[in-house]
Amino acid sequence: MRPSLLSRIGLLACTALLLIWSLGPVYWALVTSLSAPIDLVSASPHFFPVHPTLEHYRQLLGATSFYEGSAVQSVWPQFSRALVNSLLTSLLATIVTVALAAVGAYAFVRLKFPGRNVLFVLVVASLAIPAYTVMIPLYRLMVSMKLIDTYFGVTMIYVSAFLPLALWLMRSVYQSLPLSLEEAAWMDGAGRTYTLFRIVLPLAAPGLIASAILTFLSAWGQFMIPLVFSPTLSTKPLTVLIPEFVSRNYVDYGLMNAAGMLAIIPPIVVVLFLNRYLVQGLMAGSGK
Amino acid sequence: MSSELVNSETALTRAGNASAVNSERMLGFAFVAPIVVVMGFLVFGPVLVTLWDSLHRVDPMRAGTPFIGLDNYRNLMSDARVLHAWLNTLAYVVFAVVLETLGGLGAALLLNRITWGRRWLLAAVVLPWALPPVVNAIVWSWIYNPSHGLLNSVLFSTGLIGAYHVWFNDRTTALLLVALVHVWRMLPLTAVILLAALQSIPAELYQAARLDGAGPFRLFSKVTLPLISGGLAIALSQSTVFAFNLFDEAWILNGSSLDTRSVLIQVYMSAFQDLRFSYGMALSVLVMFASLVISLVYVLRVYRETRYD
Repeated sequence: MRPSLLSRIGLLACTALLLIWSLGPVYWALVTSLSAPIDLVSASPHFFPVHPTLEHYRQLLGATSFYEGSAVQSVWPQFSRALVNSLLTSLLATIVTVALAAVGAYAFVRLKFPGRNVLFVLVVASLAIPAYTVMIPLYRLMVSMKLIDTYFGVTMIYVSAFLPLALWLMRSVYQSLPLSLEEAAWMDGAGRTYTLFRIVLPLAAPGLIASAILTFLSAWGQFMIPLVFSPTLSTKPLTVLIPEFVSRNYVDYGLMNAAGMLAIIPPIVVVLFLNRYLVQGLMAGSGK
Repeated sequence: MSSELVNSETALTRAGNASAVNSERMLGFAFVAPIVVVMGFLVFGPVLVTLWDSLHRVDPMRAGTPFIGLDNYRNLMSDARVLHAWLNTLAYVVFAVVLETLGGLGAALLLNRITWGRRWLLAAVVLPWALPPVVNAIVWSWIYNPSHGLLNSVLFSTGLIGAYHVWFNDRTTALLLVALVHVWRMLPLTAVILLAALQSIPAELYQAARLDGAGPFRLFSKVTLPLISGGLAIALSQSTVFAFNLFDEAWILNGSSLDTRSVLIQVYMSAFQDLRFSYGMALSVLVMFASLVISLVYVLRVYRETRYD
């Protein structure tokens, strides 16, 4: 049955609609970030920058910049600091989470020990706990351990927040691996730990990449946790810094959109180059 | 899993058997120990403290933390602001679940049909999910801007509205617009889950149904829909729980305004603005139980369904 011309046009129209819905807002933010401030307040919208300018980006990345003729202070010191904070906390949280999930999920699938199922159910059930349920006791705990506004403190909270999903995902990955390979290794006298690190983990690499991506993106986009636990620039990430541009100057949408465009570069890179793993992670993380 | 253990263990002596089981236990404990420490200190411990504190009066402004039983919970039932926030959250859940399910199903069907460039279309569809919610909210608040926003100018120039609107002046519109930003971010998840379900349907089923003379509508309702019901249940539970926990979008777009205040924002306001710690904690406990129940209902349904095959 060959698709008729009509159904082809319908398909094309639906695709166009879906693309506009998904990419339209991102494109609009890009246009805004490249537009001169005067064009942003003009009566009719322009779907491409009329007078393209890098002014907003210069304000973020340059040493000094000019705004409507007068020199304004660049926000590069704060911006670069927050960028480093975002990268460091997200990467650290990703490494620790994936390491704990890789080893822990193996134990939940292949090793027998008392309390295994109870522990697993408890950890997965914690996915349903809103961050604010634990926020106040956690805050007191962090204050008493002097971990507020430290990389270690924020990273560990991220780990505790994103570990359940990574565990859930890694468990389904291990469950789908054939047991015969491991059995063969045991027959040859290999120990459990050796088998895990030399045979199972390499096979589970796609799952490990998927959990790393999910964890990294969740940590990169986190707002509530650093809002409370990263009060100063020593650990404050981009997601907390960018909304502050509202109150600092005035609502500078050009600057905020430019900062937003820079903050979404890592997620865009992931989606462009690692989308296969991301989609696998989303499917496995929610299903099974 | 247990059968393979039994097989390999029958060859061993009884003493060796016991020590093998013992060493497996020790290894199991060692592998999950870091998880127990992290989750125990940072999640389960604090949850227990929250449960305990919600039965007390914990105010940094007032001395002492007397036991007050269920008073916090009782007061929550008659607090107008809290009820208002629950209604807002209910509206978010309804808007989000309906739009995400319909939109996600449409996107999944389209992605399943398309053969050329599916990889790139999928990347475009998934992108909003990957972006930081804060950045999404900022991008959309610029689109919703009353004087220079894209929404007003597009609707005005196409003649759909006669004058520029301040969108957040009307509660229903404001709730819908906040929910729309949430839908933009979460629709990819529903689409991906449903796409996976669609791809697991064998093509022969469609051929057989077509031979029996089924049209496109009957194909969809008699073949597609029943076979993706498992995926649909998961997608529904995910979108419900995420909409239930909506915070970032409403906070960035409209701050603490009562019109768009979700339950979690109410928790934040009670605890950190009004400084009634245990009152906010009690509300967060209710949110937690509601989330757990929603997840449980769907998980049990899915579990029962998957056991048939």
